[in-house]
Amino acid sequence: MAAPERDGTGGQDVLRRAGDASVLILTSLADGAKHGYALIQDIKGFAGLQLGPGTLYGALDRLERMGLIEALPAEDRRQPYRITAAGVVALRAHLDSIERVSSVGRLRLGLGGI
Amino acid sequence: MPASRSMRLVESALRCYPQRWRSRHGDEAAEIAILLIRDGTPARSIAWSYLMGAARARLVTGPRRRLGAAAGALLLAAGSLGAPLALLSSPAPANAASVAHSRAARPRPADPEPAHPRPVDPRRTGPRPGRGRGAPDRCGRHDRC
Repeated sequence: MAAPERDGTGGQDVLRRAGDASVLILTSLADGAKHGYALIQDIKGFAGLQLGPGTLYGALDRLERMGLIEALPAEDRRQPYRITAAGVVALRAHLDSIERVSSVGRLRLGLGGI
Repeated sequence: MPASRSMRLVESALRCYPQRWRSRHGDEAAEIAILLIRDGTPARSIAWSYLMGAARARLVTGPRRRLGAAAGALLLAAGSLGAPLALLSSPAPANAASVAHSRAARPRPADPEPAHPRPVDPRRTGPRPGRGRGAPDRCGRHDRC
């Protein structure tokens, strides 16, 4: 596994290969539990893109299998999800990694560090 | 597209998911589709997203069933979406296409027997400049090469 050695986080950035949808979902769940439609709307609001519902459910299943989110008791037909402690750690590690890349990119573009 | 047709299209795509997935997410997935269609999202793109999700869901069901499940999902998807899409399109081009296809597939009696079952690759049969004298000039498949 070369990726964890390259990113310097000791292999904690488990979201590196999880896909953008997973990162967007974890970011959306970082401020509280949400169900599927609320996730789509929230992500559309802060990221400007609409996740397809098939993509959403695929990412939710994957994140649940990884233990990064957990399903709460269903409300009517809606299934809310919340981020777990492991999900918080993984999201923080991934955001740190992105921030490092962003800083280097801005520096090399002559835009200055953040 | 009328709402009933839109939902039929989405429900066809949802039927491609494994039973376990449908029993857990099916109702909510249908409700999300209704809400997204109400917001102006085209039903076709919702159905396509669910169709791709169903293919992925079947690919992760288990290593032994992956190939069979993927093939089954594709066949099911073709059958499920083919019928509604055929209903939505005009009948004339569909009929014309099916006639043309069946004619092309059936060999005509007057046609001579094909000389070679596969098209011959000129790179294999022609002279090969630049190869050494001792290199074999055979394709390895036919005795006459």
